[in-house]
Amino acid sequence: MIALRVALANVRALFRRNVITDEIREELQFHMEMRAAEYARGGLEAGDAQREARRRFGNPAVIQDRGYDVRGGGMLETIVQDVKYGVRQLRRQPSFSIVAILTLALGIGVSTALFSVIDAALLRPLPYPHPEELVTLNVEEPRPNEEAGSYAPSMADIRVWNTQTAIVAYAGTGRVDGFVPLIVDAGTPQRLNVGLASEGFLETYGAFPILGRGIQVDDTREGAPKVGVLGHAFWRREFGGDPDVVGRTVRIQNEPVTIVGVLPAGFFNGTAVWQAKQFKPRWLQNRGSGEGVIGRLRPGVTLAQATAALEAVTPAGTTRGPSPVASRVVIKSMYDEETEGFRATIRTLSLAVGLILLIACVNVAGLTLARGATRDVELAIRASIGAGRGRLVRQLLTESLLLAAAGASLGVLLAYASLDSLVALVPLSLPPNSPVAINLTVLAFALGVTIVTALLFGLVPALRLSRAPKMISSTLSVGGRGGAPLSTRAGQWLIAIEVAFALVLVTGSALILRSFARLVSVDLGYDTANALTLEVEPLDQSLPLRRDYYLSLLDAIRKLPEVASAGAIDQMALKGGGSWGFPTADTGVDIPGFQRSVLPGYFEAMGVRPLAGRLLQESDRATGEAVLVSDTSSRRFFGGNAIGHTLRSSDKTPRHWQIVGVVPDIRHGGPLWNGDPEMYVLPDPAASASSEMTLAMVMRLRDGQSVPRERLKQIADSFGPRVLVGKARSATALVSESVTTQRHRMLLLTLLGAFGLMLTLVGIFSMTAYAVARRTREIGVRVALGARPGQVVGAMVRDVAWPVALGLLAGLAGTYYATQLIKSFLFHTKPHDPATLVAVVVVLAIAAFLAAWLPARRAAAVDPLIALRSE
Amino acid sequence: MKPATTNSDQLHGTLDMLVLKVLDNGPLHGYAIAVRLERMSKDVLSVEEGSLYPALYRMERRGWLASNWAATDTGRRARFYKLTKTGRAQLDAETASWMRLTTAVADVLNG
Repeated sequence: MIALRVALANVRALFRRNVITDEIREELQFHMEMRAAEYARGGLEAGDAQREARRRFGNPAVIQDRGYDVRGGGMLETIVQDVKYGVRQLRRQPSFSIVAILTLALGIGVSTALFSVIDAALLRPLPYPHPEELVTLNVEEPRPNEEAGSYAPSMADIRVWNTQTAIVAYAGTGRVDGFVPLIVDAGTPQRLNVGLASEGFLETYGAFPILGRGIQVDDTREGAPKVGVLGHAFWRREFGGDPDVVGRTVRIQNEPVTIVGVLPAGFFNGTAVWQAKQFKPRWLQNRGSGEGVIGRLRPGVTLAQATAALEAVTPAGTTRGPSPVASRVVIKSMYDEETEGFRATIRTLSLAVGLILLIACVNVAGLTLARGATRDVELAIRASIGAGRGRLVRQLLTESLLLAAAGASLGVLLAYASLDSLVALVPLSLPPNSPVAINLTVLAFALGVTIVTALLFGLVPALRLSRAPKMISSTLSVGGRGGAPLSTRAGQWLIAIEVAFALVLVTGSALILRSFARLVSVDLGYDTANALTLEVEPLDQSLPLRRDYYLSLLDAIRKLPEVASAGAIDQMALKGGGSWGFPTADTGVDIPGFQRSVLPGYFEAMGVRPLAGRLLQESDRATGEAVLVSDTSSRRFFGGNAIGHTLRSSDKTPRHWQIVGVVPDIRHGGPLWNGDPEMYVLPDPAASASSEMTLAMVMRLRDGQSVPRERLKQIADSFGPRVLVGKARSATALVSESVTTQRHRMLLLTLLGAFGLMLTLVGIFSMTAYAVARRTREIGVRVALGARPGQVVGAMVRDVAWPVALGLLAGLAGTYYATQLIKSFLFHTKPHDPATLVAVVVVLAIAAFLAAWLPARRAAAVDPLIALRSE
Repeated sequence: MKPATTNSDQLHGTLDMLVLKVLDNGPLHGYAIAVRLERMSKDVLSVEEGSLYPALYRMERRGWLASNWAATDTGRRARFYKLTKTGRAQLDAETASWMRLTTAVADVLNG
């Protein structure tokens, strides 16, 4: 309380200086007048009485000052003094101040920017009310002699939990279904995100409709009218925020869906419509449908309580029929699940950014120390006229804080300006609903970093320099140039430290860079040059119509003069996915693998030649029985001799195939490939309406030719059925997209590594430059005594060489541990890749040598006469 | 250096205690406090009377005293000081410790 009152009085006093001095003056005046009156009553003359009263009182001016110090402001006023003096000092040495401020701006700016990402990703990844109540739910079925099977709970499980316990507020299942064709009334077809949700799913997140109603149990029955709830952004954009939108329809994959409600703003902005998911009665009991189940626990319920309560009512049956052992319920906090994926990346980035900040601190500490050596005289004089050590330390720390504050302001501006590019670069899929922003939390963090930084780089120099006045007489007598021993040793330590940090940072960046280079030089198994893809999809779901459409389109494309050859493949293949098949071979074994639909001409368009046998031809389409397998498939299942074997599908619609050729493994999804076997099938001539086929046209252009997308779209639109025409993309672009995360990680870490290296070199350069400037006279003497310029420069560089060598050694040790962190990001590259380590050490050593040699050269140019006279 | 500090601390302490004692009987302005002190002890303010004021301000800051401007008997404006609760407690504590000290000294002297 008292402390608070004193602080308030201080602040008030600062603005009320006049009021307080006037009060004190009046009070003292009153006292002297009373005393004079007393003397006058005792018989003294008026003038004498006043003089005597004054003499007795002491010096009113001094008393007034002492009174003022006690009553107001003392401390705060010295702070203002310190700040004013500090600003003057910083302005007197602009080159020092600019380098220091820029260095700090980079360090603080980079950490603030990264922290804003951490804030979005780790501190508020679940932008829903009471995120701590959100959980994911799974069911484990224990099995004798086997590992327990973990499944997403069935709808039956969820409904029992919801109705028979008081634990779960809401629970449901759903997912964002990816881009599906969507038509608003009679509008243009678009591919938009559509979600599928059971009842309770949106409510779990706390998303209650602002118009109409949510999805209810009745909507999820098979055969019920199809209904959906609009996302807020989509409602504003497509319906102009129409309040009477409930009851209108949208067409999703050509099926009419009635709008029953509108969701509030800010909830899954990227999802246009949430459609009620419909369950066939026999599927209600199915566990493990592939979609996660989420729930919201009632306030205050712990995970353990919830687990026990839900297990007690979970239906007895399992996916394999009745079981004597009850199923277990596994409940995890949604926060843990959400953040698990990016913790490693965040740790790596934090380490890199932390190293940059530390290097920046070390740098500025070195600069402060070096500059301090030239301030010996000033500090000695201040000490000799009565400043205590505490006062000097405070003054020096105030200057550090000023520097840090200036650096931080600039840094936060930098962070703000670079935020969008950073977010685009961060190799994380950030939570969709919590945008990265410089908010109050982030600003508070920046403030904290600023203070810690100022202490880090300011305290050591402040303590060392404030010791200087102990040598007042010697300092003053040698004109302050004897200060070298005070800071040389400390400066060398600082160089060693920053070189060690830089080595760790640069090694990390170099490893990621090397790994990325290896990733993009992987042989993809096909010729990416001149290959163009176009995703086209008829809105009608009937297979014969789709198949016929694709064939006509292919014919039209082949007629284009720019196209050398053309074919088609399952769209999913280009994204690295696809549907999985388990046909049985005539050898009796199942041969699992990606089962890709193609149209003849695909392999020619990809520039792929068969390893054995032949490719698919137009004539194969009549029966659809010819099939190709990949090299891996042939080796794994047929001992490398697959030609002639027959396959039989165990699907609902049985098919027979004969293997007519073996093609190389094609990395459709880009360089990251886990060696899955593949087979290529033609569309079934006896196709049923239920199977799906969504193809991408692939064409090989003649050298130097190109076809604009508009032209392709025109052709695609010219056959009758309504179609959705996607982007036309070159194979090169597809490959490049497939490694986006890796590229971003590489760019970001390379950038951070470059920052670290740059700061370190600036540090070495400026510390050497200061050393040269400070030792001008010593150098002059040595040159006068016959030292050759080479020897002088050599001595200066040697002063830096040892700490650099030491730093490199220490850095190598640090690298050993730090690179373990990025192990999982490396592609065909070991965390201790010797070539990378050697290269980094050599580059750093050479760069450090140059950074020291450039300023040291100036030492050789010192004219002994001028140097000696400069005192 | 050290002994001097102790002396001046002692002096401060004595002055503080006397001021608190004087104000124990009711609010007074600075000059009146000085006059009472003079009567109690010639030494405390012997050097310069003015040094009373920084001491008053210090005690006010510590919360021992409170002050306000009011009119004197003769109608002039003056700043009056009075004892606060904390101040009274402080006075009691200092009196007690002073008594302990003097008793101890007396015991020693009486052998």
